[in-house]
Amino acid sequence: MKKEQAAPVPFQGFGRPGVGTDPTSAGAKRQLVDRIVGKLLFFVALFAIVTVFFIIVFLIRDGYQIVLETGLWNFLAGQDWNPAGQNPAYGVLPLIVGTILVTALAMAIAIPLSIGSAVFIAEIAAARTKAAIKPAIELLAGIPSVVYGFFGLILLTDWIRIAFDQPSGSSWLAGSILLAVMAIPTITSVAEDAISSVPREFREGSLALGATRWQTVRNVVVPGALPGISAAIILGMGRAIGETMAVLMVTGNAAVIPDPITDVFSPVRTLTGTLGIEMGEVAFGSTHYHALFGVAVVLLFITLAINSASRIVISRIQGPQGTARPTAHRALVAAASRIAHAVSAPFGGVVSPRTSQRCAFFLISLSVVIVLAALGMILFGIVVNGAGAISWEFLTGSPRDLGRAGGIFPAIVGTFYLVGGGLAIALPLGIATAIYLIEYTAETPLTRSIRAAVDLLNGTPSIVFGLFGFAFLVIFLNFGISLIAGQITLGLMILPTIIRTTEESLRSIPGSLREGSYALGATKWQTISRVVLPPALPGILTGAILSIGRAAGETAPIMFTAAIFSSRYLPSSLSEPVMALPYHLFVLTTSVPGASVQSYGTALVLLLLVLVIYLAAILIRRRYNRAKVM
Amino acid sequence: MDEFTVIETRDLNLWYGKKHALIDISVKIPKNRVTALIGPSGCGKSTLLRCCNRMNDLIDSSRITGNVLFNGEDIYDGHADAYAVREKIGMVFQKPNPFPKNIYENVAYGPRIHGVGDKRKLDRIVEESLKGAALWDEVKDRLYEPALSLSGGQQQRLCIARTLAVGPEVILMDEPCSALDPIATAKIEDLIIRLARDYTVVIVTHNMQQAARASDYTGFMYLGRLVEFDKTTKIFEDPGEELTENYITGRFG
Repeated sequence: MKKEQAAPVPFQGFGRPGVGTDPTSAGAKRQLVDRIVGKLLFFVALFAIVTVFFIIVFLIRDGYQIVLETGLWNFLAGQDWNPAGQNPAYGVLPLIVGTILVTALAMAIAIPLSIGSAVFIAEIAAARTKAAIKPAIELLAGIPSVVYGFFGLILLTDWIRIAFDQPSGSSWLAGSILLAVMAIPTITSVAEDAISSVPREFREGSLALGATRWQTVRNVVVPGALPGISAAIILGMGRAIGETMAVLMVTGNAAVIPDPITDVFSPVRTLTGTLGIEMGEVAFGSTHYHALFGVAVVLLFITLAINSASRIVISRIQGPQGTARPTAHRALVAAASRIAHAVSAPFGGVVSPRTSQRCAFFLISLSVVIVLAALGMILFGIVVNGAGAISWEFLTGSPRDLGRAGGIFPAIVGTFYLVGGGLAIALPLGIATAIYLIEYTAETPLTRSIRAAVDLLNGTPSIVFGLFGFAFLVIFLNFGISLIAGQITLGLMILPTIIRTTEESLRSIPGSLREGSYALGATKWQTISRVVLPPALPGILTGAILSIGRAAGETAPIMFTAAIFSSRYLPSSLSEPVMALPYHLFVLTTSVPGASVQSYGTALVLLLLVLVIYLAAILIRRRYNRAKVM
Repeated sequence: MDEFTVIETRDLNLWYGKKHALIDISVKIPKNRVTALIGPSGCGKSTLLRCCNRMNDLIDSSRITGNVLFNGEDIYDGHADAYAVREKIGMVFQKPNPFPKNIYENVAYGPRIHGVGDKRKLDRIVEESLKGAALWDEVKDRLYEPALSLSGGQQQRLCIARTLAVGPEVILMDEPCSALDPIATAKIEDLIIRLARDYTVVIVTHNMQQAARASDYTGFMYLGRLVEFDKTTKIFEDPGEELTENYITGRFG
């Protein structure tokens, strides 16, 4: 209300017999604090929001140059990507096709397995099995991509080469299998949440009509959970498209369109892989440099498309309550049930419902077994082979002979430096911004566009942040490859996540609590700091910890901003480069022959580090959920 | 009416965006009495209540003209402090909304934000407030348990205790029993009658028996206007307006 802002002088007409303090000074002081905090939050939020928009504008501005230099059509539809050739060519079509092919096949593998696993966990598994599998799958969502890439390069490509008798296993198929394995935990976990939150009454209503459990799952539960399942698929797809390191390590990276287009053994190159390979050797301001920004902008647009698609799908399907469901929803439900019918038709029409349930449950259980076997194999391989490499010297020594001997101590410490610095930048900025957006602003077109920009960066592939950090911090601001450049890049990468999770957490605090506090005469900041923040803290903390895990495992953003391969010493200042575990693993695996023991050891250390961080997040959330029940 | 007036509205109008929610309301709320506001849903009774301690300030689209006087001073005056107003004019909501803290901290929250730090003084305020809200005997052995472990009726009395702890003169209650069972409702009604010895109580209710049982004065509102305001006995036995009579006899609403 307007009149409140016009009340700078505290009203002193009311005595205070109940509490019995001096009314004037205490009242004036807390109002002063309230105003100062409000201003402070405003400026921090402004800074963070300007940064978010700056990144987007910076990328688009440099990306637009390539359109000026080669023309939009030649850039987007050009079939030749050859920046280093005699006649350099900058056509991104093969890269776009590569990205689409790798992602599509990965999704074709991942979606049935993930949804099967989600149905198994939510509907079929006994309580105890569920309690074991669910956190395990969530934990697997946190495995750093470079660990998958390492595994893929060492085992998967070999297996494909031998099993299918190909000259090389580095291929579209390898990339897709790896991406599928990476996306499965994410999709399963989110889809399982959606299925579990379908109200119990729906199931009971169906079972009470004599339907089998499978009929209930197929006709009632899965259609009811469709919005959540769609969101899960879109999330997994976003993760697959944005993945750089794992793909770069196993797809062979030839910028060709497979011929024929269904040749899964053909090497391909993705948009993200291109950035990862070529960013380090590009000359500042050259056509090639602009072309890479063009690639980043294409990725930005893909992210935008995915974000919009997910928003449309979710809002369409949920629809405003009480109104007729829009046609898109009906079409989706119809399609889903038709697929379900088609899948079960071989046993549905002829055999009894009981037999069809047995067949369906068998297939679903099989998908869980496949998923667990694949993930178990990766973990088992790394643990067994890596355990041999772990020794006191390995953990506390410096690398010798290009990492073939000695230890990884500087890389462990470097990872802590990078993550700690990134968090120190992103956490205060992100939390203050979220508080400002939720508590101090009303829903306006401005806040909506801020939210859209934050969402866009939240879904942007990490390699794009690497490109921004490299171009702006390392080159333009002349930081050089340095610890500080890596910390800022990681900080910017996790900033959108922290803003979003904090916002979600604040929004989950009911407005009635704020009203209760205001009704007692509390100021805005008193209400926020004493009533809103304490219950929101576990959610904020979980978001922060997941960000730490992500930052610790990321290679792409630090590859060209902070990391060096072999260093005997720790950095003595922020302007020196550092070693980092994921980058060390990447170089050991791809460039140093004869270091496989050290690779396994590094992978194991990185894996343990990240899994411990994720485990902490899961435990905090579980404790919080239990507290909420009371 | 020859009672001493504690809250008075003069030609109060309020808009939510374009919706004219309160129209020319002029009413005097007598001190140390229970005043009930009745009327069909959407008639503006909760809005009027929220005007009395500036809770409508929190709704961005609201706009107001006219005056609301508290002990003769305009609470919407440019110099008035909304926070100090709410300290003197407390509010209890439709659904119990205890903070997710323990019972003691819920009651101590108000005094603390107004600068009371002394532990002994807090202890005393908490005990007196819980006694004032007729909850002390039920919770004195479990003060440090979560407030959300209390029953709905107990939670609502905790919210009343929380309001008392700040030392208000007026307590506004927005349908305080609508989420409670009959036994808990009866307890709150007893409490309301008792509170009127020391406080002025304004209660919005859907339940006409409740208004008849617990209040001294009753105002009937319809479509944003205050149709009639008088002693409760007069309103229920011999209403001056046909509209009021139709409502309390159940012919609409």
